[in-house]
Amino acid sequence: MLPGFTYVRAKTVADGVRQLAAPGTRVHAGGTDLIGCLRDGVFTAKTLVSVSGLKELRGIVSVPAGGLRIGALTTHSQIVADKAINESYGALAQASAAVASPQLRNQGTIGGNLCQRPRCWYFRGDFKCLRKGGDLCYAMGGENQYHAVFGGDKCVIVHPSDTAPALIALGARVRIAGPGSSRVVPLPSFFVGPGKDVTKETILEKNEILTEILLPAAEPGLRSSYRKVRARGAWDFALAGIAVALLMKDGKIARARVVFSGVAPVPWRSQPVEDAITGKTLTPEVVAAAAEAGVQGAEPLEKNAYKVPLLRGIIIESLLALA
Amino acid sequence: MMPDDRYYVADVPPETPEPADQPAPWTTTTVVGRRLPRIDAYERVSGAATYTADVLLPGMLYAAVLRCPHAHATVKTVDTSKAEKMPGVAAILTDKSPGADIPWFNTRTGPLSRLFDPHCRYEGEEVAAVAAETPYQAWDAVRAIAVEYEVLPFVADAQDALKPGAVAIHEGGNRSGDVSRYLRGDVDAGFAAADVVVEQTYSTACEIHAPTETHASVAKWDGNRLVVWDSTQGVYPIQSGLVSSLKLPSSSVRVIGNYMGGGFGSKLSVSKHTVIAALLAKVTARPVKLHLTREESFLAVGNRPPDTMTIRAGAKKDGTLTALQMTVLGTGGAYPGGGVGGVDWVVRDLYTCPNVKTELTDVFINAGQARAFRAPGHPQGAWALEQMMDQLAEKIGMDPVEFRLKNVPTVSQGTNGTPPYTSSGLKACLEEGAKRFGWGEARKRAPGDGAIRRGVGVAAGLWRAGSGGPPATVIVKLFSDGSANLNMGASDLGTGTKTIMAMVVSEELGVPLDKIQVEWADTATTQYATASGGSKTVPTESPATRAAALDVKQQLLAMAATQLKVTPEELVLRNGEIVSTADASKKVAVTGVTALRGRGLIVGVGYRGPNAEGKVTCPFGAHFAEVEVNTRTGEVKVTRFLAAQDSGRAMNELTYENQTQGGITMGLGLALTEGRILDRNQTGKMVNRNWHDYKIPTAMDVPVEQTVVPIDLHDTQANSTGAKGLGEPATVPTAPAIANAIYNACGVRTPDTPVNPMRLVDLLAAAKKRG
Repeated sequence: MLPGFTYVRAKTVADGVRQLAAPGTRVHAGGTDLIGCLRDGVFTAKTLVSVSGLKELRGIVSVPAGGLRIGALTTHSQIVADKAINESYGALAQASAAVASPQLRNQGTIGGNLCQRPRCWYFRGDFKCLRKGGDLCYAMGGENQYHAVFGGDKCVIVHPSDTAPALIALGARVRIAGPGSSRVVPLPSFFVGPGKDVTKETILEKNEILTEILLPAAEPGLRSSYRKVRARGAWDFALAGIAVALLMKDGKIARARVVFSGVAPVPWRSQPVEDAITGKTLTPEVVAAAAEAGVQGAEPLEKNAYKVPLLRGIIIESLLALA
Repeated sequence: MMPDDRYYVADVPPETPEPADQPAPWTTTTVVGRRLPRIDAYERVSGAATYTADVLLPGMLYAAVLRCPHAHATVKTVDTSKAEKMPGVAAILTDKSPGADIPWFNTRTGPLSRLFDPHCRYEGEEVAAVAAETPYQAWDAVRAIAVEYEVLPFVADAQDALKPGAVAIHEGGNRSGDVSRYLRGDVDAGFAAADVVVEQTYSTACEIHAPTETHASVAKWDGNRLVVWDSTQGVYPIQSGLVSSLKLPSSSVRVIGNYMGGGFGSKLSVSKHTVIAALLAKVTARPVKLHLTREESFLAVGNRPPDTMTIRAGAKKDGTLTALQMTVLGTGGAYPGGGVGGVDWVVRDLYTCPNVKTELTDVFINAGQARAFRAPGHPQGAWALEQMMDQLAEKIGMDPVEFRLKNVPTVSQGTNGTPPYTSSGLKACLEEGAKRFGWGEARKRAPGDGAIRRGVGVAAGLWRAGSGGPPATVIVKLFSDGSANLNMGASDLGTGTKTIMAMVVSEELGVPLDKIQVEWADTATTQYATASGGSKTVPTESPATRAAALDVKQQLLAMAATQLKVTPEELVLRNGEIVSTADASKKVAVTGVTALRGRGLIVGVGYRGPNAEGKVTCPFGAHFAEVEVNTRTGEVKVTRFLAAQDSGRAMNELTYENQTQGGITMGLGLALTEGRILDRNQTGKMVNRNWHDYKIPTAMDVPVEQTVVPIDLHDTQANSTGAKGLGEPATVPTAPAIANAIYNACGVRTPDTPVNPMRLVDLLAAAKKRG
């Protein structure tokens, strides 16, 4: 049963920032994750400050200097249908298309997708876990089949977003509005691992709002993809996923960004895979070596060792598909 | 289909038998068998249909239940003082409340628990309940009740339950009943005579029923009379459960069923929430609605028990099965729930085998009680047996369909006295299914050498019940304007029962479907019916409905005979007219029968006659699956599926197809996606009690190409409509057919469900390592 709360609509971004300064407030956009969390008692809110009516946060526009500006309220369905994104930023279109279900893609926003809370069933269930202010990560010694094999530190959640790895691979930055000003940060710096702070997943302060995502101009020779493996054909999060963006020059990889989903508490950029393929042509041997490099350092828990062969499999599949 | 005039001539049995006589099944039909949409389709899709949750009564209160959050705990104190003072709260019930001391989980040696027993043996067991003006106030009050628990050690796994030192869930320990044993022949001799012997352990995960409509009850008292609206598979079993819980005469308890969003066995008998609603309504003197949340329904109202099954099997090179031995360990949760019931039936009965031995052990664990779940035990047993049949076929180098055909029995070997079946479509399902699926060619095609491998698999099954049988009483009323009412006590779970029964009335009386209204599932106004479960509703109710319609027809023809001055035997009812077969000029419209107009209506009563003596009636099926396995990721896509079902007459081909597709979808869930996960190492709590984490298949998981092949062998002995049950057999062979296709595609055997990418990618990696 959804507990009671007050709902206010921000008139402007600045108004929203101002209202969020009050205690017990939370920002509301698409609401697909927020309402579920409130209903399940994952956290509480006295007041929801809704930015959902702010038109300036919705839509995809080209930036004169090159690149795209995607408003944080842009829905997955809009991204999936956008011509420019499909033509130049395939990984993002594929990632948004892999999110949840048609209803949720119609309602869920790209900003919300980056800010959503983890799906760990201990965090979501009635367990007072570390992330909720308790003193135990239940997943460490419990049912950890969906949990992290990289970057676990006190807490072993996996980051649930499909679009975050794609956006990182595409070199995205995000704009954050706060009191008085806004700041722009590269997307990897937006996320916070448990080693740094186990109670939050992003750098957002309580009275800050993610307003837009900035994609750099698509360079000639850019190829990208996102591949997600899930336990069910729809409405499911990644067991493991991989976003790849390759800048091809003369048949060789001039620059590679490879980011995993579903295997670490933050979108996990794999330097070893990037190193294994940069400057090379994607032959089966190079791809096989990249897959081995990609799983180096993985630390499976009791029930998620499958993520190692799975990761190997999707690295090979994705790289061969882009070759 | 054309009306068969031969049916109406003098040399066939009269169409108006005495009500007690069972007519022979139809030779041809004009309405029954057609692909007709549901008579209540508009109501269902427009939202006009009222489900129990839609019942709104003046002054109605809403209830919520406080459930134990621990897998195993003792309630020390319950403090309701704060909750009582909260706005809108009308009543709070705890174990100490007058009248709440109701025994629960009754066994031969006495009840194992009571309504709010302080010893909570599973997460979700009831501790207290609140009735308030709004559901929000009820839940706020539930949260405000302070309970002090002593948390106890728990058992979350059947294997753990029997370990020395395991906490005893009940005084007598963790065994639920005696070990169940079956033996025929001599299995040692059978293994000695075999050319190949294979042994393998399989397991199936615990599945949650998860009907679209969660459990709900509305209770209201009129003086000493209790009226309950309930989402149930049977209003009479709910009535009897309330009668024994509340110590009321049956005549004082009225249970009203309604439109339903599924039950799958979890709504066959009374649940605690229904009794709680009745008690709260009593103490508040107001109607009370209690509608369980999805999370509650994951914990507390039933599941398919998990089973671990070891089969040792022997066969000769010519395909003769020589011995089958099966041991099973299962658990129906914290109370006797049939953790192993029905699991060995396919081993005992599906194939000819002289030497069979089974041993089934049922234990308690700290989890919600199992309940009948679509063909109890059978999908589990088929998961094991039908993979074993595949393994044996491979060992002896025989095609899996051919191997099964070699062992098709003519008698029910598992039943005392080995009686014959009234009809057995096992052979026809395998043969016709294989033909329609293109089995031979598909099996010959190589799986491919890329990362994606293709394969096909087959599995067969039967369902032990599915014959239907007495008792059932149905009333048909024919009005003088030619319209009719059908009155039956059975529930329509969403399967199309009402539509099929209306078609039977239409078949016999020629009344168009839009002039037939059905009244159903109400203990006050409809007649006795057993619960709609066991795939027996159609074979039980359709003969009774037919008998009631024939009773009407007999009376109608007698009236017309007097009016036309002819004998009733020469009259037939056709297109709304009663016509003499001897002299076609002698006729009268139904609406012109003066005696009927004078009386207003004719009441016909039909009873379900007995089943064939010394015979077994049961449905069979064979499923064929084609899959693609991504050998890099362990992803499985079921690309094509065919189900050949022998359920006797297909009463309505459209509902037949729907129900079979539902069975395939559910079986696919068992095979690939579903399973309850308990926090075994730490708390024993269920971690995946929601739609996201408990993975019911979606539209993206089911095969786009599904073919349903009804196999009708014209069973003339089963009953007067020739129908056998379909709902359950349609899900028995699905999962092993998929497993066998996976093996065919990638050479990896998958003994444990669910075969999700997590499990399969591990198995593939291990196989690769082995080389």
